[in-house]
Amino acid sequence: MPILDWINGEYIPHLLDGFLNPQKRVSLLYLSIAAALAIIWSVYVSRGSVRKGFLIARDKLFSQRVWFSHSARGDYKLLLANHALLLLIAPLLLSKLTATTALFFFFIDIFPSGAAVLSSTSPLLVAITYTIFLFLLDDFSRFATHFALHRVPALWAFHKIHHSAETLSPLTVYRTHPLEAVIFSFRAIVVQSSAISIFVFLFGSSVDLVSIYGVNAILFLFNVTGSNLRHSHIPIGYGRLAEHFLISPAQHQIHHSLDPNHYDRNFGAALAIWDWIAGSLCKSRTDMVLKFGLTDRENLQSQKLLHFYFSPFRELFDRGRNDPFYRNRNHRNLTKNAV
Amino acid sequence: MNKRLIASAFIIVAPAIATPASAGDAVYGKFPVTLKSWMGNETNSVAYTGQIARQVLHDSLKKLAGKGNGKPNAALQAEMMLYFEGKGKNRKILAPTSKGPFVIKQKTVGEISNPNLAGKTYKGTVSGMPNNMTGPELIKFWIGKAASANKGVDMANGYNYPQLISKFILGAVFYHQAVDNYLDEKMTAGNKPNNKPYKKGKHYTGKEHSWDEAFGYFGFPAHGLMLSPSQLYDIAKRKPTAVSIADANSDGKIDLYNEMVFGPAYYAAGSDKSKKTAYAKTIGKAFLDGRKLIASADGNALNSSQLGQIAQYARVIEENWEKTLAEATFKYAGSCFKDLQAIKANPSDAKVLAKYVKHWGELKGFSLAMQTGRKNLGDTATRLNRLIGFGPVMPNSSQVIDIDSGGNYVKDQASGINEYMGHMLKVQKLIVDKYGIKARKNDQLAGMSDMLKKLGSGSAAEND
Repeated sequence: MPILDWINGEYIPHLLDGFLNPQKRVSLLYLSIAAALAIIWSVYVSRGSVRKGFLIARDKLFSQRVWFSHSARGDYKLLLANHALLLLIAPLLLSKLTATTALFFFFIDIFPSGAAVLSSTSPLLVAITYTIFLFLLDDFSRFATHFALHRVPALWAFHKIHHSAETLSPLTVYRTHPLEAVIFSFRAIVVQSSAISIFVFLFGSSVDLVSIYGVNAILFLFNVTGSNLRHSHIPIGYGRLAEHFLISPAQHQIHHSLDPNHYDRNFGAALAIWDWIAGSLCKSRTDMVLKFGLTDRENLQSQKLLHFYFSPFRELFDRGRNDPFYRNRNHRNLTKNAV
Repeated sequence: MNKRLIASAFIIVAPAIATPASAGDAVYGKFPVTLKSWMGNETNSVAYTGQIARQVLHDSLKKLAGKGNGKPNAALQAEMMLYFEGKGKNRKILAPTSKGPFVIKQKTVGEISNPNLAGKTYKGTVSGMPNNMTGPELIKFWIGKAASANKGVDMANGYNYPQLISKFILGAVFYHQAVDNYLDEKMTAGNKPNNKPYKKGKHYTGKEHSWDEAFGYFGFPAHGLMLSPSQLYDIAKRKPTAVSIADANSDGKIDLYNEMVFGPAYYAAGSDKSKKTAYAKTIGKAFLDGRKLIASADGNALNSSQLGQIAQYARVIEENWEKTLAEATFKYAGSCFKDLQAIKANPSDAKVLAKYVKHWGELKGFSLAMQTGRKNLGDTATRLNRLIGFGPVMPNSSQVIDIDSGGNYVKDQASGINEYMGHMLKVQKLIVDKYGIKARKNDQLAGMSDMLKKLGSGSAAEND
């Protein structure tokens, strides 16, 4: 049967690839390292008591309360359904190569004498520059997209699916509305096509990426230093100084916090400097006790897949009927004292 | 027991028995004389000696074009003209000649046939070069220049005449004659019918010989379908290891008529070595299948269904042949791009500059060759000609923009090497967009695809 062939030949291999490929954030390699870091952190906060540390780690990271909660089951439904949906719509999305080639020839047309103007530069220098440029552009674009998802009411209607998670596990990263996935896909196309076309245009040939296990070296460092713990109940902070530059797991948990003081804070993915510049940075504290999810007013009533998929559209429809010109732009309580 | 033995023996021997039969089927060798009015003793209606002689004339002319010593040389020019538009059975074969164990059977062109190239050269105007010259006029112009250039190369203006002459002839004679003449109007009902001799006194029919002539222009050995792209390539290169492969009749000599690989087939095989294309095999098979179809008419005029089938084979040949020229144009645009990169890194390196001039000659020759087919390439030709220009952009940014009435080049300052490198990439993109070629040697845009692969697909569903 074609559907079984598709499940065996495409769906399952792609799904497994997400957990085996080091280019994916939830690969087993990174998950294992995150678990080890969580245990080390737990032992550390237990003042060196290994037993107590393991108990904390078990409670915060490995407990049924985290992995089999109502919210976690919602994560899994979205992961499995989105995976199928995105596989099916992927051929309809703009090809990265088409976009890259078009941009490259656009540069040639508008700066004809600039083609390969830096072709004599040392390949190592070019590779390092490209790797850093790509990382910065990618991280900034994630910040900007995330910022827009919170600040544009129509986009928040979709992004709030992600924020409806009440327990956080590394798989919450996949708690995404499919429309957001299309936005993220477009973001990746813009970033990768721009970076590659600019570098090939300026340097006249393909450029190497400084990589580890085939992954951008900087991104690899981000992933092995516990990026998966950002969606967890392990509040590892980096200290007040470092948190101006890097988003710690605790800072991202602040981003998910129900505390109105934490609304629309810490949009960054790896770097905190964008939030610092935009004034949305919030550093972590060791005495924080956080609850996650949405306020009662915004709360999604159900963890059913259809509800996840269609409630944003219904919200937009209702809002369009009641407030067609979006006069009330305070879709969420943006200020500390609003609630 | 005996039955089992016999059965086993049959299983072992059967393929051996079958091989010669199937090999024979795959050879463009002997087809019966079907002309009903013929009363002679000939048993083979296949003949394409004139075309192979022209392949030899082309190779020899290319060799001669590189013989100049940098001073005007009327004798050399006259000798080149003899190979281009002259006649004479005693014209020596200058290329391909014997090379070590690769012994060529013929020594003179006349041992094969006695034609010329000029009479079969594309008569339309060549819009990719100044002054609206026709094909023969352009080649004569280049012959004049080659005779006074050092080893056929004008380093001041960036012209490598052996390459320009050779690559243009691959199109303007061979491709043009095959696809725009023999496989086109001569395959129509009223032209060269199959129930009449090709010419009075000939033992083959109009359609048989027209088809054979087109085959001869492809420069493919009669047993070429039994050879791999690498083997075809090695034969053209006259490698010692290719002797046994080429020498189909095992007489110790390579017969240029039916055992050699010439330019068009060589470039097809060159692409096919990438294993991404099968131009040589596809073209060779279409020729063979078409010839079988004509033979099956048994000397009767082809009916409309047979003519339709023949037209289909002809289109397969044309389409694939055109792609081999497009692949070569693509390849040399990539070579020029790389050469220009090297020139920028080391502007004083004369060897790099010579390579660039050589590759540009090949690029220009092939791009002009593409424009000599049956179809008018229209906008594609205009864009190709504008991007490549009348001459290469030289390291000092000068470029030939015209030829004056005295035949002298007129130069101007172009906008620079960087922009011209961009033109080379645009040539590659244009070729891919228009022809969908697959081998894509020296693909300067492939790097972007590789870079994207390195970044991986990521996961669009990952949320921050």
